Amino acid sequence: MFRGFYTVGSGMIAQQRRTEMLSNNIANASTPGYKAEQSSIRAFPEMLMSRLDATRVPTEKGLHFKGLTPVGELSTGVYMQETLPQFAQGQLRETELKTDIALIDGPMDVNEETGIVGTVFFTLAGENGDQYYTRNGNFNVNAEGFLTNPSGLFVLDTAGNRIELPNDDIRITQEGVVFSGDRQVATLGIAYSDEPDTLLKRDNGLFNTADGLALPAGGRYSMQQGYLEDSNVDAARAMTDMLAAYRAFEANQKVLQAYDRSMEKAVNEVGRVN
Amino acid sequence: MIRTMTTAVNTMNQLQHRLDLIGNNLSNVATHGYKATDAKFQELLYQQMNNDKADQAPRRSEDGIRIGVGARIGSLQMNWKVGAVQVTGRPLDFALTAPKQYFNVIRPTDGGEEIIYSRKGNFYVSPTANGQNMLVNDEGLPVADSAGRPIVLAGDATNYHVQPNGVLEVTHPGGTQRIELGITVLEKPDSMVQLSATNFGLPEDMAALGIAANDLLTEMTGVGRSEIGLQNQALETSNVHYEKEMTDLIATQRAYQFNARSVTLADQMLGLINGIR
Repeated sequence: MFRGFYTVGSGMIAQQRRTEMLSNNIANASTPGYKAEQSSIRAFPEMLMSRLDATRVPTEKGLHFKGLTPVGELSTGVYMQETLPQFAQGQLRETELKTDIALIDGPMDVNEETGIVGTVFFTLAGENGDQYYTRNGNFNVNAEGFLTNPSGLFVLDTAGNRIELPNDDIRITQEGVVFSGDRQVATLGIAYSDEPDTLLKRDNGLFNTADGLALPAGGRYSMQQGYLEDSNVDAARAMTDMLAAYRAFEANQKVLQAYDRSMEKAVNEVGRVN
Repeated sequence: MIRTMTTAVNTMNQLQHRLDLIGNNLSNVATHGYKATDAKFQELLYQQMNNDKADQAPRRSEDGIRIGVGARIGSLQMNWKVGAVQVTGRPLDFALTAPKQYFNVIRPTDGGEEIIYSRKGNFYVSPTANGQNMLVNDEGLPVADSAGRPIVLAGDATNYHVQPNGVLEVTHPGGTQRIELGITVLEKPDSMVQLSATNFGLPEDMAALGIAANDLLTEMTGVGRSEIGLQNQALETSNVHYEKEMTDLIATQRAYQFNARSVTLADQMLGLINGIR
């Protein structure tokens, strides 16, 4: 059988996954707090190929030894192994709204072993207390007077409590202290992750930890009220990557066609009498 | 099926809504008392795909890959900053100079009447019975006083003047009439129902939402009335920034184009699949 038949098939699937991921990046090019995704494409585990043959020892009656001679390694395809959000700071955009807050990374600690840079997040909680983390600082004061995100999750303060405000006329300092008039209401709770790659990405710009444990406070950051952190998608780059993925898809398709023609020959022409 | 196409189309649909919104802001750039509204995007669902369960390779993220399916409008928020005050010199034009304060207007409903809120301060007098006049807004709806009643003025009034604390003084040959204008602070304008470009009302399903009217608004009464900011013979212009809206319009249109390009690419990929044989 043609081994490469399925190899190019897997190549097409991997490149299709890649365009799906890139089109999501393009779609979220104007979503505040969105972190562009990168993919890593990996070859299938390699397998060792050997030739099964016999060695003939020239004796009187003829002696055969069956044995394996290694040919080499072969990998039979490719798949998209990981999608990793890239946590670089997005640029700030002024919105004039008092409940829009941009979180700005300070100099973060770098993990010496892995070289991963830590990231800070706003802390949110659902009705049942599940904690989520987000970079999207587009908040609102809901009808009951709690500071919430657009999907109704509560923004938490440093003590893990919801933030209750009389109205949306608030002032937020660079350290995240929330004032309503002259009254200090709360301090926005900021969570720090030293390995943000392990966080699971969900809808609405939310992240949560895979093990369900809460992230600790910490990290160096500042805040800017009346601004939002823009998506860090570089549209030009996303489009270029998309075209590259498209052409790789096309190349795989061409190889598949070549295999198909070889197969056609094998079926119809090999061993034909006239 | 190829997910690229649906991702791009979902997002294009939402970008279209944003274009509509920008169009509305731009068309109300000259509407007195209009407040600009802005749309913010949010990510749609992420789908977890466990594409190789036997994968033993070292990795940094959790098992599987997560692919998103586009973006949608997450929130529409009104910018309640005060617009520029334009002096008109007309005695019945009033501009509110403090943020979130609104005039009260009486609107007839099916079974009676209700109070709605507007910052549009160009008022008129409309003749009623007994040679008296009623203060109405530009839609002909009666303007309410602090008790929620229509304001009836003497028919032969010669001068209208409003005090900063919201008391309208009407001078007529027989003396001076003093009326407290109804002024309400909309504490959470985003929770109100927008009835027209400048009119707001309370949501109808407040009981279902578990909120009361005083969660959303504060009536200006007693000493609180000293916080009212009112200017005579002037109107508040809209707070739409023309250049911001134009920039957003261009950016949104380009984003739309980018997504349309994704659809084209997905279509060509489907064509390639079709063309395998």
